[in-house]
Amino acid sequence: MLIVAAALLGLGLWGALAQQSIVMLLMGIELMINGVMLAGGGLWAYSAGGEPKGQLLLILAMAVMAIEMAIGLAVVVALYRARQVDMTEGLDSMGR
Amino acid sequence: MTAQAEVWAAPLLTAGVLAAGAYVVAVLDAAVAAAVSGAGIGRSVLAGPLRRAALLVVQQPSATERPDAASWALAPALYAGLAAAGLAVIPWSASFSVADVEAGIVLWGTVESLAIVAIFLHGWSANTHQSLLAAYRFLAAGLSYLLLSMFVLIAAAIPAESLQLSRIVESQHGLWNVVRQPLGLPLFAVVALGSSTWGPLNLADGDDLSGGTTADVSGRPRLVWSGARAAMLTSFSAMAATVFLGGWQGPVLPGPAWVVLKTLVVLAALVASGHLFARVRTERFVTVCWLVLLPLAFLDLVIAGVEAL
Amino acid sequence: MIDVSSPSVFVHVSFWVFAAAAVLSGWRVFRTDSMVRATFLLLVSFLNVGAILLLLGGAYLGVALLFMMTVEMTVMAIFMVAFMMNPAGLNPMVMVHQPRLAAAAGWVLFGGGIVVAVWGRFPDRPLEPGRPVIVELGTELMGRSMLIFESAAVALVATMIGSVVLSSRRSRYGEAAGDDGSLPPPLDPVLGTYPTGVVPETSTDGGDGHGGDGHGGMH
Repeated sequence: MLIVAAALLGLGLWGALAQQSIVMLLMGIELMINGVMLAGGGLWAYSAGGEPKGQLLLILAMAVMAIEMAIGLAVVVALYRARQVDMTEGLDSMGR
Repeated sequence: MTAQAEVWAAPLLTAGVLAAGAYVVAVLDAAVAAAVSGAGIGRSVLAGPLRRAALLVVQQPSATERPDAASWALAPALYAGLAAAGLAVIPWSASFSVADVEAGIVLWGTVESLAIVAIFLHGWSANTHQSLLAAYRFLAAGLSYLLLSMFVLIAAAIPAESLQLSRIVESQHGLWNVVRQPLGLPLFAVVALGSSTWGPLNLADGDDLSGGTTADVSGRPRLVWSGARAAMLTSFSAMAATVFLGGWQGPVLPGPAWVVLKTLVVLAALVASGHLFARVRTERFVTVCWLVLLPLAFLDLVIAGVEAL
Repeated sequence: MIDVSSPSVFVHVSFWVFAAAAVLSGWRVFRTDSMVRATFLLLVSFLNVGAILLLLGGAYLGVALLFMMTVEMTVMAIFMVAFMMNPAGLNPMVMVHQPRLAAAAGWVLFGGGIVVAVWGRFPDRPLEPGRPVIVELGTELMGRSMLIFESAAVALVATMIGSVVLSSRRSRYGEAAGDDGSLPPPLDPVLGTYPTGVVPETSTDGGDGHGGDGHGGMH
């Protein structure tokens, strides 16, 4: 279970670091949270005896995922409006 | 019934109901069309759908240039499977349902959202002009109506204090949800028409785009797709009957008979809407959805919440 | 409900099938040419993890994950097509940078995970069968952990407002003419002089592709 979760985490990090497009980078982060969810679910079922707080943690992970995506995509839209870039290479400074 | 028999009976029952439902939808469609146009209802109403189905079975499936073959083939199957999964959670009587899972309402939400994916993939994977347009235009509408269903279904779950459908039916003893939450059923009907891309909300398979996602589909894939759409409409009608019209509850007749009757009433209304109303424009539907229907759905939820207190 | 403490062969087999599908589709996400395919492959990965959660007995969690992720990935698909070149995936393309470093980092994280998974010590307290997990989740959310739940809700509201503000065409300087975001008003409306550092758009051809240069004052 945890090995599979680790594989998803590793794949997600690889994707997030290697992809040039910001949207693909977000996909990598999503995949990492996917791994976190799997690890959390596994630990909840096998090590926490079904403690409800474990479920709460997973719900929060889902909320994190939704927030990450909404803000991430909004930033992409704003960046594209401002500078016509959708690749990380286009962002060499924090200014304009 | 023994446990071994049930394992086989449940899928067979679901498939049988859906096949019958698809046929009934086709017959109703033809009957309403004949009635509205004043042509008179003849024998062709009953035989027509069968004749068309037989034609599609022997017809050669068409091919397009570089389609996404896997998605194109799998989308109709996925869509039909979703209709079956949706129907499976519906309780037929106080003691029998195929899969009365605890999180039934949430499972239904999954069916609705995956149905959007299936319809989009069906249009996208053909790799042709009209079907791609239809897929994108459907996606815009689909994301808009999806939230409505969540609000009205959660509102229906509040008096039952459960996400389980059998409990929701029991909570309607004496007072059906259609009276208690009058906004629920009409809003759910919008979702039903959208998810089975039917009638006024037929944005994915509309004639204005030469059949939309089906523009380049013929033969058996077309048969599966058309059947799945009608089956999806049947599942939605059964769901509406269960959540808003008291499900199996009713005098004299046994539970399953009431479910079937109520489903047929909803089905007839939904099919008739296809011949009585014009197809909506995508932009206008999306605007109305977010600005009018979504607040109404929220109001529905508030009504249910206040009543529960 | 499935008994987690003594799973059947069926549960074991399904777990490995779902796990393999989740990892495989997660890998294909970054290896396919088509943006729509990449998005829906990620969805497949999520669906498989949701199925595993269902196997584990998290009835609500599993289904909720399926539902949430389907909607999320559908939205994602739109953005993928909107913001990626080659949306149809008809031409092969590779859009990666620092591939070696990234792959190394991925492998290191995977290795670390394996170390934790194999040598880590976790308490052995499996979920008892028949535990009312959905009811417990509900009472937890609305009871002891209400504050946490509420903070998540507030965070989500802040997200909604934030994303609308970020992506809205209207900004604090009013309606934008094109797709460039709104511009600050000129200092002198008659002469049309702009604040320092702000270059107003002079040409409308936009041929050099820097339509956003006039967008200032927000940084």
